[in-house]
Formats: sequence, structure tokens, C-alpha cells
Amino acid sequence: MRQSNRELWMAFIAVVIITLVYLFVTITLAGVPAASGFFGHSIGVLGFILMLMTETLYTIRKRSRRARWGKMSSWLDFHIFTGIVGPFMVLLHTSWKFNGLAGIALLLTIIIVASGFIGRYIYTAVPRTADGITLEADEIKQQILAIGAEMEKRGAPPNAAASKQVNRQIKQLVRQQQRLRRQLGSLATARRMLALWHAVHIPIGMVLFTSAFIHAGAAFYYATLLR
Amino acid sequence: MKTNHPGCITTSGLVTTALALVAIVVIGLLRGGVLFSPGALNAQVGGVTLRGVRSHAEINACGDCHTPPVGQSKMADRCVACHTDLTQDPHNFHNVMIAQGQDIGCHACHTDHNGAQASLTIAGMENFPHEAVGYSLKAHQKMADGALFVCADCHGNGVASFDPAICASCHADLDAAFTQSHTDTFGVVCLDCHDGLDSYGEVFDHNRVAFSLGGKHAPLGCDQCHLGARSISELAAAPQDCYACHAADDEHAGQFGTDCAQCHTTDGWEDATFDHSLAAFPLTGRHVTVACEDCHVNDVFAGTPQDCNACHAADDEHGGQFGTDCAQCHTTDSWEDASFDHSLAAFPLTGAHLEVTCAGCHTNGPSGMIFAGTPTACAACHAEPAYHTGLFDSECAACHTTTAWTPAEFDQAHLFPMNHGESGVSACRVCHSDTLQTYTCYGCHEHTAQNIASEHREEGITDFTDCTRCHPTGQEGD
Repeated sequence: MRQSNRELWMAFIAVVIITLVYLFVTITLAGVPAASGFFGHSIGVLGFILMLMTETLYTIRKRSRRARWGKMSSWLDFHIFTGIVGPFMVLLHTSWKFNGLAGIALLLTIIIVASGFIGRYIYTAVPRTADGITLEADEIKQQILAIGAEMEKRGAPPNAAASKQVNRQIKQLVRQQQRLRRQLGSLATARRMLALWHAVHIPIGMVLFTSAFIHAGAAFYYATLLR
Repeated sequence: MKTNHPGCITTSGLVTTALALVAIVVIGLLRGGVLFSPGALNAQVGGVTLRGVRSHAEINACGDCHTPPVGQSKMADRCVACHTDLTQDPHNFHNVMIAQGQDIGCHACHTDHNGAQASLTIAGMENFPHEAVGYSLKAHQKMADGALFVCADCHGNGVASFDPAICASCHADLDAAFTQSHTDTFGVVCLDCHDGLDSYGEVFDHNRVAFSLGGKHAPLGCDQCHLGARSISELAAAPQDCYACHAADDEHAGQFGTDCAQCHTTDGWEDATFDHSLAAFPLTGRHVTVACEDCHVNDVFAGTPQDCNACHAADDEHGGQFGTDCAQCHTTDSWEDASFDHSLAAFPLTGAHLEVTCAGCHTNGPSGMIFAGTPTACAACHAEPAYHTGLFDSECAACHTTTAWTPAEFDQAHLFPMNHGESGVSACRVCHSDTLQTYTCYGCHEHTAQNIASEHREEGITDFTDCTRCHPTGQEGD
């Protein structure tokens, strides 16, 4: 269960800093930085690299059997951070023109970010271990039973005979068991939602990156090679 | 189930990727490069039709302007393929630039795809080598309010023409009083002097030119020195010698010439530092501490007499006996410690004269010792001795030197051979014992009075007192 919004705060701070830099450059140049200028190109390329990291690093960590470096939840944090900051830089790269394939790629970028936000909240509905590994229904049932046994051992429900400390522990166990029961009940729905979300999110992402690569290639061809 | 490939490699992901590629290719085939166009092409219709189109927007194929990356052809070649007027007229602005080696390609200043109504000449202003037309835009990047200059700000009737009046109209907005004064003084053809790199205003560094402005020259207005200048060459021709401007300021009335800077600085006429050592009369010794007006009466500097006597006539303790050139004996350090070189005088001192005191020759007069007119004749000091009184006048030096009276050299005619007897020259007093006017042979050899008297009487000679009358050579047989 995700409890913290740290990655969102980090992304917010990064977005503020980048915005300030963008404003400074805009004032210095006395105009919106062109996409083809040094600053415009730089934020476009950096933003796209962040987006590529968003697309690849988390999913490789998640799927790979050999690359087990770092906690899954940390990689998800990083995935969300780059998934916000990268598209924001790409947005500034546009110089507020949305023509042709570049415009399509930006539209897809906005959609994928929005989709990512939705996916993040579906994701939290699926119970996971502390390391972010999804728990199967049987594992949840096991945990519920284990908590039940623990409660019995402490003489649940809370009673006047038990000490204050034991009663507090019993109440904690009751809350834990209730949450697990709720998750077990909605597990099937959450999983279906997550699968559906994946089925939409991933193809959009693939089209986005296809468009973006072709856009970069075309920009290089037309703006650099054809000078 | 765990897999080794990224999560995006799903069937749906790959299918949509393939579909996206197909869609891009199809659009590319049907609509050309529309997907890659960064914006609409310029649709402003020009006055002429070039190769069938009146505006860029009417061009359909990207390849009409965009050349393949391989091959020699550049986009600029495609530009002039249509815009032939640019290359046909050698006086065309673009051709002038190219002739000056400023071929920077069209895209440095001209770009498209910025919208149907956008100007084709907006991008790359910072790259345009405006110096090529004789005026740099270095100082005309931004207006006073920070807005960027655009061509039309100065070229109201198109970039090919320029009305110099626009300079004054803009600059009058910035500083009306200065602009009015400046154009009144230097005229309105600003480009005659200004090339855009200079600034002949407040920030102009006059020190970069041959005549640096310091001191009281700094706050002067340009026209106070550059009288009537209307071009760079006329500005540069402003005279640099002090007198060109300051002739009327010369309180010395030209006595010190025209180079005021020899004594004065630009900080003011006062505090002048005159280096007297550069003058014809360098100051040394006690002259250094003398006040200027002691010598230069009534501030007259030129023609001040340089001879000692002009100032020191009253100081001459010698009463003018040594003339007016005190420096022959005295230095400027003091009157004392004079060093008189008698050898420079009419009567150089030699021999025994060196030992004589001054007073030995120079007598005292009413106002000190008398030097002038001291006689130089020997007889003035030396009386003729009785020994040869009346024989040699006063020409002592004919026989004597200043070393001593004797020995003396007598080389005049002598009646009797002085080597008488062939035994060498005898001293005068051997024969002339009393005076040179008398002589005697007696007392030498066998010439006793008795011998001579008896020998002459034997011969019957009675008059034998004047020996040389009969013995003129003193030899035997005379």
C-alpha cells in the first residue's frame, strides 16, 4: 500500500525549477525559445530521454529476473517523477506550436501522462508486499488467518481483563484484518481494472514513442541535413 | 509469470506501433511532408509570379525547397532558382553582400513555416552581417524599452532603402535636447560619422584616438574642438596642438612658444611646472632658489638677458675689471670659492712669478685690489741692474726667463769672441767684473798688469789699455 506522495512533490519542485529557467530564458531572448534553438532543442532532448527512462527502466526492473537492483516502489517513484518532468520539458520544447507529427506526439504525451495518473491510483488498489510485489488472493487469505490466530492469542475482542497495551495491539490487528478483507473483496475488480488500464496505456505509449522518434528523425533531416 | 522483455512489448503494443507506422507512411504518401511541417508556409502574395507560384504557400512539394542531404545542392540554391532577381543585379543588396564574402546562406535571415501571414524576414536578425552595408547593428539590438529591433524600425520603406532622418526622429525621443544640438552642430547625415560600432556620445572613449581627453578637456562638447566637422575625416582632422585652440589663452604672449603642455597640464592653467633646465638658461646652484620675478621683471620671460652682469653688475666687487663674465672665475654655488686661472689672463704666471702674492703685482686702490691695467712689462716691476744699465733697455726677457735671473742667455753680437782661448764660453763677470760696459783682460792666465806692461813696452807700444783694439779675437798672433 502506497502511503507517501514524495515522488509527486519532487516532480512538482522540478517542474517549478524548470519553469523558472524557462521564464529566465524567455526574458533573456525577449521571446519564446524556439524549438530549434539551443535551449529548445536541449529541453526537448532531455525531456525525451526522461520519457524514454520512464518507459523502459521501471518495466525492465519489474519484468527482469536478473536485474533486481533497488526496491520496486523506488523504481515506481522514479517512473512517476520522470513521467511528469520529462513530458513537461517536452511541452516547453514545442514553443507552443502543435503542428504535424510533433503536435500528435505532444497530444499523445499529454494523454499518456493523464493515463499514468489514473494508473497510479488503480495500482494502489492492488495489495503488495513492502517490496511492491503483488499479493495473490491465497496469500491475503493466509495473512487474514494469521492475524486471526494472533488476535485469539491476545484474547480478542478487546476486554477489560487485558492490559491497555494488549488491547491496543488487538485493535491494530483488527484494523489490519479489515483492510485485507476489503482488498480481498475488491482484488478481482482491481486486477481487472489494472489489466484494462495496461491494455490502453501501453499501446498509447508505443504510438507516442514511434511518433516521437520519427519526429526527431524528421527534424534532424529537414532542419539539419537539408540546410 | 515473469518475463525478460519490457512490459511495453505486448501484442497490443506492437500492433498499435505497426498501425502508427503504416498511418504515418500513408499520410506521407498522400500529403507529402505535411506531418513534418513545423507550420504553415507564407501565403502573402508577391507582385510577381515566380516559377508558377505567387507565394510559398502555393508550393506543394517539400522537395521544391528542401534539397536531399546528399549532393552539392543547398537550400539557398533552391531560393535563388526562383528569386533570380537577387543574382542578376550586381547592385542588389544581396549580391553586394556575397561580393564582400558575406555569403551566409538565405536561412540566416529568412525562414518560413511560421504561419501564412508571418514575415519571411524575422529569424536570424542577430546573424545578419549588417556591417556589410557599412553600418553595424551592434548598438541597435534592443530599443530603450528592451524590445528587439526589427528591420522596419529603421527601414520603413523596405530593407533596400534607408532614410537617415529616421535616426534623429528616434533619438529625439530619447534625448530631444541633445539630438537637436547634435544635428545642429554636425548635421543630420548621421552615417557620415557613425558606423554603429562607435558611440560618439557619453560612452565614446576618446582615449582610443590619438588625442586622449583628460582633465578639463573631458567635459567639453565635441563641437568645441571639432569645429564644423561633418564627417569622420573632418573629425579626425581637428588640430591637436595646444595653440590651435588656446592661442587666445596665452598669458605669456607667445614667449614660450605654442606647446603649452611643456609646463601646463589639462587639469588647469594653474599648477604649471616649468622645467627651467629645458630653457636656454638652466638654473643651477643658488639660481634655483631665486624667485622667478627676480630675473623676469614684469613677467617678461622671453629675451631675459643671460649674461651674469645683467643681474650681478652691482655685485661686482672687482669694479668691472674682469669684464662681465663672472662665470670665468665664479660658479652659481657662491661668490666665494672662485677659482681664477691666471693663465687665461693677458699675463700668464710662470716660473718665479707663480710664487709672487697677488699684492706683489696688483696694488690696492680705493675700492680694493686693482687688477685691470696691471702693467705686463718687466720694467714695471723689475728695475734694470747697474751691471747692464743702458745696454738692453727693459727687454729682460731677451736674456732672462721667469725661472730665475741667472743664468741668462745672451745671444746678441759680442765684440770679442766669447769662446776666447777656445776654452768655452766664460761667465760675463770673468771679463766684465763691474759692468758690462767695461772689461778687463787682467787677472786671467798670464795677463797680469805687470806682464802686459813690460811685454808692450818691449815692443815700444805705450797705448795698450784697450786690449781688443789690437787683439780683436784674443787669439795668439792678433
